[in-house]
This record gives sequence, structure tokens and C-alpha cells, in this order.
Amino acid sequence: MTESRPAGAGLVDERPEPGESVLEVRDLVKHYPVRSGLLRRSAAAVKAVDGVSLTLDRGRTLGLVGESGSGKSTLARVLVGVETPTSGQVLVDGEDVTGRSRAGRKQLRRDVQMVFQDPYTSLNPRMSVNEIVGEPFAIHGIDPAGGRRAAVGELLELVGLDPDHANRYPHQFSGGQRQRVGIARALALRPKILVCDEPVSALDVSVQGQVINLLEDLQEELGLSYLFVAHDLGVVRHIAHDVAVMYLGRIVEQGPEAEVYDAAQHPYTQALLSAVPVPDPSVRLVPAGGAVGASSSDGAVAGAGQPGVGGIVLEGDPPSPVDPPSGCPFHTRCWLAPTLPEARREAASADAVRGLRLIPQVCETDVPALVARGSADAGAAGAAAHVAACHFARELATPGTGA
Amino acid sequence: MSPASRMRTAAEGEGRGTRHSPGAERGEGEQRALLEVTDLAVEFRTPDGVVRAVDGLSYRVEAGRTLAIVGESGSGKSVSSLAVMGLLPDTARVARGSVRLAGTDLLTLSRKEHRARCGEQVAMVFQDALAALNPVHTVGFQLTEALRARRGLSRADARRRAVELLDLVKVPNAKARVKEYPHQFSGGMRQRVMIASALAMDPDVLIADEPTTALDVTVQAQVLRLLAEIQAERNMGLVLITHDLGVVAGVADDVTVMYAGRAVEQAPVVPVYTTPAHPYTRALLRSIPSAAGTGRLPVIPGRPPSPAAMPPGCPFHPRCDAARDICRTEVPPAAHPAEGRMSACHFASDIMAGREPAPEAGVTTSASGTSVPGPKGDPDD
Ligand SMILES: Nc1ncnc2c1ncn2[C@@H]1O[C@H](COP(=O)(O)OP(=O)(O)OP(=O)(O)O)[C@@H](O)[C@H]1O
Ligand SMILES: Nc1ncnc2c1ncn2[C@@H]1O[C@H](COP(=O)(O)OP(=O)(O)OP(=O)(O)O)[C@@H](O)[C@H]1O
Ligand code: SF4
Ligand code: SF4
Ligand SMILES: [Mg+2]
Ligand SMILES: [Mg+2]
Repeated sequence: MTESRPAGAGLVDERPEPGESVLEVRDLVKHYPVRSGLLRRSAAAVKAVDGVSLTLDRGRTLGLVGESGSGKSTLARVLVGVETPTSGQVLVDGEDVTGRSRAGRKQLRRDVQMVFQDPYTSLNPRMSVNEIVGEPFAIHGIDPAGGRRAAVGELLELVGLDPDHANRYPHQFSGGQRQRVGIARALALRPKILVCDEPVSALDVSVQGQVINLLEDLQEELGLSYLFVAHDLGVVRHIAHDVAVMYLGRIVEQGPEAEVYDAAQHPYTQALLSAVPVPDPSVRLVPAGGAVGASSSDGAVAGAGQPGVGGIVLEGDPPSPVDPPSGCPFHTRCWLAPTLPEARREAASADAVRGLRLIPQVCETDVPALVARGSADAGAAGAAAHVAACHFARELATPGTGA
Repeated sequence: MSPASRMRTAAEGEGRGTRHSPGAERGEGEQRALLEVTDLAVEFRTPDGVVRAVDGLSYRVEAGRTLAIVGESGSGKSVSSLAVMGLLPDTARVARGSVRLAGTDLLTLSRKEHRARCGEQVAMVFQDALAALNPVHTVGFQLTEALRARRGLSRADARRRAVELLDLVKVPNAKARVKEYPHQFSGGMRQRVMIASALAMDPDVLIADEPTTALDVTVQAQVLRLLAEIQAERNMGLVLITHDLGVVAGVADDVTVMYAGRAVEQAPVVPVYTTPAHPYTRALLRSIPSAAGTGRLPVIPGRPPSPAAMPPGCPFHPRCDAARDICRTEVPPAAHPAEGRMSACHFASDIMAGREPAPEAGVTTSASGTSVPGPKGDPDD
């Protein structure tokens, strides 16, 4: 085996080229204590982020996708300093910012700005758009050339809003318009890193495109780096250079955009990609209402776990992050595990075959490491390696070609 | 029994089988509409004067069917739904139109009666689900507020019902989670809570404003299937407001495309995708970011007009790649380029047939006869 690049290069163990990475996250954990009942003992914790490591290079975009509740927003909030991590490190330009003083945190907030998921609650309803977008100047005592008002006007223009509406209040805008106000505000201080939490999910497609193209232009112009959280895989593919997939507080797959999309290795990523609704009415997610010859997606609805209309259907509910499954966190819903020969071999040897969901034992006992699988044919220099956290990812990459 | 076969049974029980026209302007439909919105116009008082956010919107919602409303941000999707529910803010008023629910025009009722009628029969999942939940009350308390107030449920019964409702929308560990507060739920979970709370009163019509926007695709697929299942079981009419044209293709029966407060295209779902009859619909379909493609996204240039400064003529003309002179001066009337289809474009038939309108084709045609649905040219060969 010829080894062109070490496994997991640029991700966990290896230090990237100095000066290349603008943000580095090392084994980040964020747990929220759960206080139970009258005793108020924090017996358990919501393991919102449970050991995440990643690197964001200057001028690049890392897309973060994953299950609802998988910890994407929590990770984003820790990165911008709104929340303190339970453990782990966040490095901005090589400097550990996790244990910073208040003044240090203020600096961090200049360098790392956030665009929030929810345009409704993130804007102060009593402030005019002019005040909202100009507030970062006030907080940091900055007087932009040409005056604050002109700078705000420029920012509004930049995000496709009418500068004449600067005196309006958030409630006078539609949801999509409000989201653009949030983006304008985040751009005010020309940050190094923009953490965008679902920044375009409230926008319709034509405006989405404008905002994404705009973010790309700004990146090119200013050398910005983006951590881009979104559940729309189409949007992420267009903007991201690299993609990380989260499940239950962990990254289960990461790699260059093209590899993750075209050669996904983790069964969760594969399910995610196959569930993307396609703009083609002959591919129905649900049968047509009362129409003759309703499509036969019922097999899929029944949860056979087979690829079909609407893709691979995941069984069961997302597990609670308070009590995540042992071993592979995806094992309770994995569609691949029950189909593996290992599962059948173990079933045959087991004395009780009671219609249980049989999966390879290793899936239930061992946490799969996030490492390069299959042909680790590393791409161009600077590109992150394609890694996946699945014991059987190799089989997926090359189906049928044993040994 | 699978949801799909249940759905067919429910549909047959209604003795249906034909497709229906989407627009209310073809009112004599064989199927009685549960909810029928006709020529609705909504205005806001703003510091810049009165603006019209919705202008002449019509649609009908039928039992067991899903109407998707898509359109530009700010096109009036939410405002029109709030008007239907009687929940417009005080600065807004309905300038004209009717909202018929089981024969009664809700807009002739007092605000209080209007809301009471809706409370029983029409429910809405609000777009701003995260803001709609009160942070100081438990999720269970909020889920059953209406039930306790209207149906007089006891605390214990309400608690039980809350658990059922959370189970219904597949929130794991429902029994424990009813006691939790909204901030302890992820965005997606909260969205499901909002769906559960809308279903609490067993509505005939559910208006869901971007109900899956906060969800990842695997859960989105679950929630949409769940909605379809519930819809089939209760033969409920569903209005799905979304900007995701993938979702529309996957779940809608009929589609209304809105732009600048108006319906610009209405049709059954299949032809909207195969032969769009309005340039805005066509442009929207082209600008979908696909999971199969990379690179620069095609966009519709410019931005949607502000309701305070609506352009003359066709509201889409400043951004339209097919615009002609007539478009800058004359508001296009509703054309019917084919059975069951409506397009508010001077060149609806051309666009539907995939032809570019002739340079000045529209000028003479439309000036002479307003009843002519489109310019000369037959869509069929
Ligand atoms: N302040 C908090 N206290 C307790 N639990 C929390 C808190 N904030 C988030 N959580 C929990 O942490 C987990 C991760 O939530 P997070 O909002 O980060 O998910 P997400 O990936 O952004 O989901 P979505 O796609 O739905 O926005 C969830 O289970 C959520 O309920
Ligand atoms: N309270 C208000 N005062 C003045 N104008 C308003 C008010 N609420 C909404 N509008 C305006 O009415 C128009 C329609 O808004 P609406 O919220 O219905 O848009 P939408 O189609 O739901 O958009 P989105 O997809 O962004 O949610 C917008 O131009 C908006 O600016
Ligand atoms: S390790 Fe096992 S359970 Fe986990 S994703 Fe791979 S096959 Fe599925
Ligand atoms: S009427 Fe004219 S401007 Fe309007 S959509 Fe049709 S071609 Fe375009
Ligand atoms: Mg989130
Ligand atoms: Mg809206």
C-alpha cells in the first residue's frame, strides 16, 4: 500500500501548515446538566457536543450538516464565545481563546461573527434596522469612514435590502428580509470568520442564491472563512469546500465536498443524501392526495430501511443526547448494520433469535474512530482527508470487492 | 395498514377521483372546498403610507389534498394566512375578498367569532415557531392550553393528551419531555411541538407555514410523511407554505406560486415542473441549489419589489427575462393556458410551450381584446 498522506491529515492529530488554519477546534465538549425533579441533583447531562475536532482554513468554507438536535447550533455558539465549552479547546489564529478574559472575548467577537438560525428572535424588536446593523460599530467604538449611517446603507445594499428602509423595525419585514438584516449586521466589522447558523433557510431559492453568491464574493474579496451550518445539502454543496456531518454531538464523516457528496462512506450521510427532496414531482415523498395510481412509497413508509421513493428511510427516533447509544451512536437507526454478513453470522450463533434487530456486536460495543477508510487516495494538497466513523465504511466504499 | 392505502381508502370514501382546478376562479368545482379564499387583498398602514401586501389572492383547499404555496420572501404567504386565521396585526386590514369556511365568509364575522371558528376548524403552524413558544411555561402546558380553555380538560387528561401529541410528532421520550421548557428543545424539536399543538384540536384544515424549514432532511421526510398520514386519516385539507421546491414536488397536489402579493401561477403539481407557464416559476426552478451540482448558483437578478413601490404593469417585469413593452404598462390578467391552469403573464401560452414571446407580439393582441387569455399562438402543435 502506497501511502501518500497520513490518515486524518489536517483534522485531529496533525498540525496544519502554520498560518493556514484560522480556526481549530480540539476535542470540544459541551454538556448541559439536567437537573432532575426536587432533588436538583445534576445526575445527567445533555451531551450536545461530545468530542468534536475540526480545522477551518483561511478563505475556505466548512459546511456542517446533520440531524436536528445533533449539536450544530451548540457548536456554533461555543465557537463565537456565547457559550463556554465543558472541555476542549478553540484556537483562533493559533491562539487558545477558550479561557480568555472578558476583553479577550470581545476581541474574539470581532474576529468571529455569527449569523443566527432564527431571524425572529435574534433581532431586537425595539431597535430600528439602522440601529441593529450599526450596533457593532457602537459596541466596539468604531467610526467607519463616511459615517455610520452610510456604512449601514452600504451593508443593507450588500445584502439586497433597500437602504431607504433603514428606519423600519424588524416586524415590518418578512422573515427572509429579517435574515438579511442579520447578515448585514454580522458583516459590519469585517470579521475573519463568519459562523452562519442556517443563514439562508428562511429565504426562498432566488434570494438564497443571491446570498450564497454574495457570501462567496465576500470570501474572495476579504479572505473570510465560513463555518456554514445548514440542513439544505444543496446549499451546502454550493458554498462549502469541505463538509462535516454531525450525528448526536459527534462528527461522523468529513471530507472535501465532492467526496462526501459523490462517495459518501457513512450510512448516516448516505441516508441524509438520499432523503434530499428533488424538484421532480415524479419522485414523490408522499402519495398524491386521492389521485389515481398513487405512487408506491408505502414500502418505504413501513420502514423497511430500503432505498426507495424518498430514499433510505431511517427507522426509529433520534436517540436522546442525554443517554446516547453505546458503541456507534448511529447503531439504533443504522440501515446498513442489519444487512451486514457479520450480523447474520452472529445471529446464527446466538441461541435467541426473536425477531430482534440484529446488528454486528462491534457496532454496539466499540465507538468507531473518525479515520480515512477505503482507498485513502488523498486529493490535492491542502484538501482535508475524507474520514468516516463507521466500522464498515470500507465495505461501503467498495461494495462487493472483498479482500 | 399502510398510510398510503389508508389514504386511498379515505379518498375513495369521498367518492373522488378526478383532479381539480387549483384556482378559486373556477369555482364550480365538483369537489366542495373546505376553505375557499377569493380575491383577498390585505393592506398595512406604515410610516411610508398604506401598502398592499396581498393583492387579489384566490385559492381553494379540498379535503385530503395538499396545496403548496411557494414564492419569494415577502410575497405575502404568511400575511395571507394570518388574514385567513383572523390574526392580522392591528396595523393591517383586509381591503377586499372573502374567506369561506364551510359556506360562511369568515371576513363578515366579528374578529372574535372569526377566531373562534378557526380555533375549531382551521389550525396554523406558524413560521416563527421558536418565538411562538413561551419560554416560562413547559412544553406540555403550552401544547394543551387550547384544550384546557376550550374543551375544559382536566390537568391529568391534558398531561396525557400532551404526551400523545408529542408522541404523534415523534418527539422521543415524550413522557419526560412534556415537563421541559422550550429552550431545552432543539430548533427541529420545537418545530414538531408546534405541529403537535396545531393538531391538538383536530382541525379540518391545517395551514403550515414553513413547517419543516428547521429540520434536517431525514426528519423532514418523516414529518412530511407524518403530516400526510394524519391528513389521510382525517381527510384533512393541508396548505403547505414553503420555499423548498423539492418539498413541493414531493408532497403537493396543487401549487400556487406567489409574487408581490399575487398568485402568478396556479396548477396541479406535475405541469408546474414540466411546463411552467410563468417566467417567475421558470426562473425559480432554475435557481434551485441541487445536491448534485456545485459552482455559481443561477439567480433571479434584482430583488422583489417593495409593496410600497410596486412597479407599474407586471410586478415581475424588472426581473423578467421575457419582458416586452406591454409588460411595463399593463398588469397581466389571469390567463388559462390549459385546463386547470392559471398564469398571470401576458405570454402564458408561449412560456408554457417553451417559446420566447415575439418581440412585440403582445402589444396589438392585448390592446384589442382583454378576454384573450394569451397572445396568438396555440400551445399545442
Ligand atoms: N441550553 C440548553 N439546555 C439544555 N439542552 C440544550 C440546550 N441547548 C441545546 N440543548 C440540547 O442540545 C442538543 C443539541 O441542540 P442544538 O440546538 O445544538 O442542535 P442543532 O443541531 O442545532 O439542531 P437543529 O438542526 O434542530 O437546529 C439538543 O438535544 C438540545 O435539546
Ligand atoms: N406588520 C407589518 N407592517 C408592514 N408591512 C408588513 C408587516 N408584516 C408584513 N409586512 C409586509 O408584507 C409583505 C408580505 O410579508 P409576508 O410575511 O407575508 O411574506 P412571506 O411571503 O411570508 O415571506 P417569507 O418567505 O420571507 O416568510 C412583506 O413585504 C412585508 O414587508
Ligand atoms: S459502525 Fe455499525 S452501526 Fe455504526 S454506522 Fe457503521 S455499520 Fe452502522
Ligand atoms: S407579463 Fe411580461 S414581465 Fe410579466 S411575467 Fe409575463 S413576460 Fe414577464
Ligand atoms: Mg440549530
Ligand atoms: Mg412568511
